[in-house]
Amino acid sequence: MDCQNISSLISNFVDNFIDFTVCGIFLPQPTNPSPPPQTIFPSPPRLVAIGDFHGDYPKSTQAMTLAGILDPATHRWSGGSSFMVQVGDIFDRGGNEIKLIYLLHRLKHEATLAGGNLVTILGNHEVMNMNYDFRYVTREGLIEFERWGWWFKKGMDMKKLGGDEDVRDVFDGLPVSFEGVERKYWNGFRARMAALRPNGPIASRFLQDYKTVAVVGDSVFVHGGLLKEHVEHGLEKINSEVRDWIRGSPTTKTTKCPDYLLGGLSVVWLRKFSYGSNCDCEQLQSILSSIPGAARMVMGHTIQREGINSVCDNQALRIDVGLSKGCGNGIPEVLEITGGKEIRILTSNLLYRRSDPVPDKKKAEFLAPEVGVKA
Amino acid sequence: MESLIAEATSYSKDENESLEVRAQKALECPCVANLRKGPCGTQFTDAFLCFMKSTSEEKGSDCVHPFVALQDCIKTYPDAFSEDIIGDNISKKEVDKATVQDYKFIPPRWSVKAKQQIS
Repeated sequence: MDCQNISSLISNFVDNFIDFTVCGIFLPQPTNPSPPPQTIFPSPPRLVAIGDFHGDYPKSTQAMTLAGILDPATHRWSGGSSFMVQVGDIFDRGGNEIKLIYLLHRLKHEATLAGGNLVTILGNHEVMNMNYDFRYVTREGLIEFERWGWWFKKGMDMKKLGGDEDVRDVFDGLPVSFEGVERKYWNGFRARMAALRPNGPIASRFLQDYKTVAVVGDSVFVHGGLLKEHVEHGLEKINSEVRDWIRGSPTTKTTKCPDYLLGGLSVVWLRKFSYGSNCDCEQLQSILSSIPGAARMVMGHTIQREGINSVCDNQALRIDVGLSKGCGNGIPEVLEITGGKEIRILTSNLLYRRSDPVPDKKKAEFLAPEVGVKA
Repeated sequence: MESLIAEATSYSKDENESLEVRAQKALECPCVANLRKGPCGTQFTDAFLCFMKSTSEEKGSDCVHPFVALQDCIKTYPDAFSEDIIGDNISKKEVDKATVQDYKFIPPRWSVKAKQQIS
């Protein structure tokens, strides 16, 4: 056994050790090469979609339990062949960002094994963080990254000592001090930059899997919304360009963040179809008709205080209920589409519990005692 | 990576050779010597051996105890595996020259030093 082989064994051991240390879970061994990005998926028997998580682990797992895809005791995939979509914004406003990224990564693997699927969509907060816009980072979130950085560095040391000559210094070129910022936070910001910049360990390992847009059956999933120009640019092209940006390249300079991810009219920031009941249904209809087979757009990003709702005859579904404690602590709700047709809203809202007298028949047909269904 | 591991662990022609023996042989390799030295050498050895032998679907998930022991040791001796301590390579790369101005870095408001009061 030569040293080169041994050092790769050591590096693999170290990666697993650091994963466990950072998150307390063991991730499945990576499969190489990673599958090509997929944008269009056939209609699954059961599709569930959840809005923004924003670093709130307990509320996010509640929502996934409500969706029937997570075993609340083990936090393992329990959704069988269900197809779940999370529409972005794992980051900011809460302190369990890495923990959620890891959990979703493991769930993706388990879903695939079970014949199901889990697709995560890129939100504007993922894009902001990759661009060092840390305005909505919490203290707890920064501590989580500081701890990650500390351990990641230990891992790099161990790999080097084990003879791995290709250990990349992921902190290379990053500032050690931040003028105007309290000194006690410097390490945290440095770690956050290292982890999330394009080609950074968390970006290239996890976020590169996140899709900017996904079409599942006749539903189009996107964080903010799509305009005609985005569709004209090409949905597959968008996914692949964004993935290239996130992955960066170890040899060349990283590519620029695509323009359609920046600004109020971008795919991750758009709110045009998400405010109130006044929605330009004609424009939406026209956009949807330019995507083959698309019947509706499912969006997160804009908090719906009244819960998941739809306008334009179910062509715009707004599913961000602001569940995170960091932004409203909304009641978890999940969109469910069965057989590509029947649309329901699963809710934790006690108003819709079975024991309550609910006049609407549909509201009474629900799955578990703590799960309600809105019309 | 999986194929690399397979390649590395199946170097022996003996199909019956146990994972235990393979793991031991890996540990005897001179390139591992530096990791086995120092205050966390024993903990490293235990954790690495356990991981190599692990047959769990999530490799290493049956190694929680040795992993936690290694964690605790590194927490107690943060420099246990840094090259300077072992004495191999003292030349430090000149890094961190970049300043924050090179980045469009936007910190959250709570992290920014309170401005000095000017009367």
